[in-house]
Amino acid sequence: MGLIQCNDICKSFGEKVALDHVSVDIPKGQIFGLLGPNGAGKTTLIRIINRITIPNGGEVLFDGRPITQEDVEKIGYLPEERGLYRKMEVGDQALYLAQLKGMTRNDAMKELKTWFVKFGIQDWWKKKVEELSKGMAQKVQFITTVVHKPSLMILDEPFSGFDPVNAELIRKEILRLKDEGATIILSTHNMESVEELCDNIALINKSHLVITGGVNDIRHKYGNNNIELIYTGEKSLEPMEGVFSVLSDIDNAGRHTAVVSLENELSSNAVLAAVLSQDLQVNSFKELIPRMNDIFIKLVTEGE
Amino acid sequence: MDLKTIKVIIGREYFTRVKKKSFLITTFVVPILFAGLCILPSLLMLNTKEKSQNVGVVDQSGIVMPYYESNEAATYTDITEMGVDIAKEKYTEMGMDVLVVVSPLDTVAKTVSVQAYSKKPIGVDFSESLGTKATSAVEDYRIKSYNIENLDQIMKDVKARVKVTEYTVDDSGKETVSESAIYMVLSMVFGMIIYMFIVMFGATVMSGVIEEKSSRVVEVLISSVKATELMFGKIIGVALVALTQFLLWIVFTLVIVLAVNGIFGMKIFGDAAASQDPTAIMQSMGVSTDQMGMSTIDMSSLTDAAQQASESGEPSELNAIMGTLSNIPWVKLIISFIIYFILGYLLYASLYAAIGSAVENEADTQQLQLPVTIPLMLAFFIVFFAFRNPDSQVVFWGSMIPFTSPIVMLARIPFGVPTWQLIVSIVLLIATFIGCAWVSAKIYKVGILMFGKKSTYKDLWKWLKQ
Repeated sequence: MGLIQCNDICKSFGEKVALDHVSVDIPKGQIFGLLGPNGAGKTTLIRIINRITIPNGGEVLFDGRPITQEDVEKIGYLPEERGLYRKMEVGDQALYLAQLKGMTRNDAMKELKTWFVKFGIQDWWKKKVEELSKGMAQKVQFITTVVHKPSLMILDEPFSGFDPVNAELIRKEILRLKDEGATIILSTHNMESVEELCDNIALINKSHLVITGGVNDIRHKYGNNNIELIYTGEKSLEPMEGVFSVLSDIDNAGRHTAVVSLENELSSNAVLAAVLSQDLQVNSFKELIPRMNDIFIKLVTEGE
Repeated sequence: MDLKTIKVIIGREYFTRVKKKSFLITTFVVPILFAGLCILPSLLMLNTKEKSQNVGVVDQSGIVMPYYESNEAATYTDITEMGVDIAKEKYTEMGMDVLVVVSPLDTVAKTVSVQAYSKKPIGVDFSESLGTKATSAVEDYRIKSYNIENLDQIMKDVKARVKVTEYTVDDSGKETVSESAIYMVLSMVFGMIIYMFIVMFGATVMSGVIEEKSSRVVEVLISSVKATELMFGKIIGVALVALTQFLLWIVFTLVIVLAVNGIFGMKIFGDAAASQDPTAIMQSMGVSTDQMGMSTIDMSSLTDAAQQASESGEPSELNAIMGTLSNIPWVKLIISFIIYFILGYLLYASLYAAIGSAVENEADTQQLQLPVTIPLMLAFFIVFFAFRNPDSQVVFWGSMIPFTSPIVMLARIPFGVPTWQLIVSIVLLIATFIGCAWVSAKIYKVGILMFGKKSTYKDLWKWLKQ
């Protein structure tokens, strides 16, 4: 049973259906990726979990019981639409937001100072937000999201607006927070970071849940049973009718890189047997797992 | 609602505003303006006389000219012998500003008519004085035509000036000398102050809400605290700013006025009072809403009442002013002021918050604001009515209906309001505030997360029903 369970959530705004019977289960202590094209309903689902939007149907359970305002107030939430008070000083603002999350002023001050040092932005404390660049403000906002050590964090597009160096910094922090036991819901379009960070995902498209589960399971499930085979030999690998076919074979001075398509799961052994029987030297044999990016595109375009 | 959270919100709303430069500037500049308004009219009255008019008179009647005696305002020159036509052509060349032509005397109707010609329009006062003087001439001519003996002596004996002393009688039959002008001034001042604060700080609440919405900080806030906490925290925080500003204004204005008074004061107010009959000013105030005139009264009658009266040599005025001041239900007035100030502000601030939540920038507020500003304006006009006619129906209902009552009731109180009316009005106001706060909170909750389209009252109604 997950930390957050969304059961059969429905939400429509007037005529427009934003979520249609969506159920997801977000396990504790893991990073959960919420994927989907723009306008799919991700932000609506996040807002429903946050109790900002009230669903028309279904319920959100937190630790097995209906989620309450008190639970929500502890969540660290980084909305997609970032924003800070432009005229307020960075330090005052961070203190204010931390206090709203229930920290005392002193605790907030201590924690914030640590974070500011870690991110190398101590000099910004007295600056007004309007003096910061977009990326700088994002850093401050990330700190204000996590400073109260929430056990659940919802990060909507946390990497957008960051340069690669800072994106890496944030990525590391997210992983560290997970190691410390936090549960993180990550909404992103960046499929590489999904593969790198997420344990489980849910893909939403056009207000419907398309797929949910472990990242590895999904990648294997959507693998098209292709195998990359690297071998050395005089001859090329011969396909076997009904067992496997050879999609490509690149011969580089006797060192071949071939992609083999299996007819069924069991035929991988048959491939090996064939290779051996054809007197070829096997250097590498590995299943080709599709990138999340390909799966995403495949599922989303299939829905059209 | 969580008190600790609200306290944090109030703290931010308060301190960010109080720390702003604009707050400091208004805190210091407004009292200077205010003090200036109090002091300036007296200075003006002393030092600037109207530019003297050079007036040529063609008096074809032969009876009016003696009444046009030159004074500070005008120098009259008799150019009757030039004749009307030549005078009309020549008066400017002769360095005259105005040409006054008095028609030949109509011996049957026993009257004349007067025409004034000038390049620039002549002032109302000057025109009036021309008329008054000609009228006296005609009246005297008519009296003379009765051929009464010893006319001069009789006229002297007949002249009289009767002074009205007003008393207000309370239930116990105790009589107090009163001066209606003082009620008027007080009633105006209190009505205005409440109006001003509601408009100023209501708008502050509204732009605060818009700021949170347009900077998108609201989504983080709303995931940390309840929308109602956010709204009321803001309203209360701004209220504290208003009170701080108000107190500082009173203190600074007093300091400045007293300081100026200490340096020139004795003279200024003394002379001002001596140069003009205080009752006359007060009465004229009743008819003209001239800002200057009003503040003069305000200061000269209230702060320096004693001195003024003694120097103008009319101790009875002093009695009347003091009597009036002691007759005003001060305790009731001040307590009601605080109650209406707070409730009126809360009522309107919650409405302004709801409007702010529905828009993304200040420019879009115009249309939505209208239904909120109309009752305020209405109240403002009723106040002008109230200090002349405090017991009329309009004023009574204005002081009962919650949307106008904070302003109108305050204007009524100096004239005395039965306690039951006060209670009914306050209870109605509280009930309306609760109703409006509930409605506003509902609109606010939905509105602050609505982005991207211009909202109308139809949308607000939909959000309310959600």
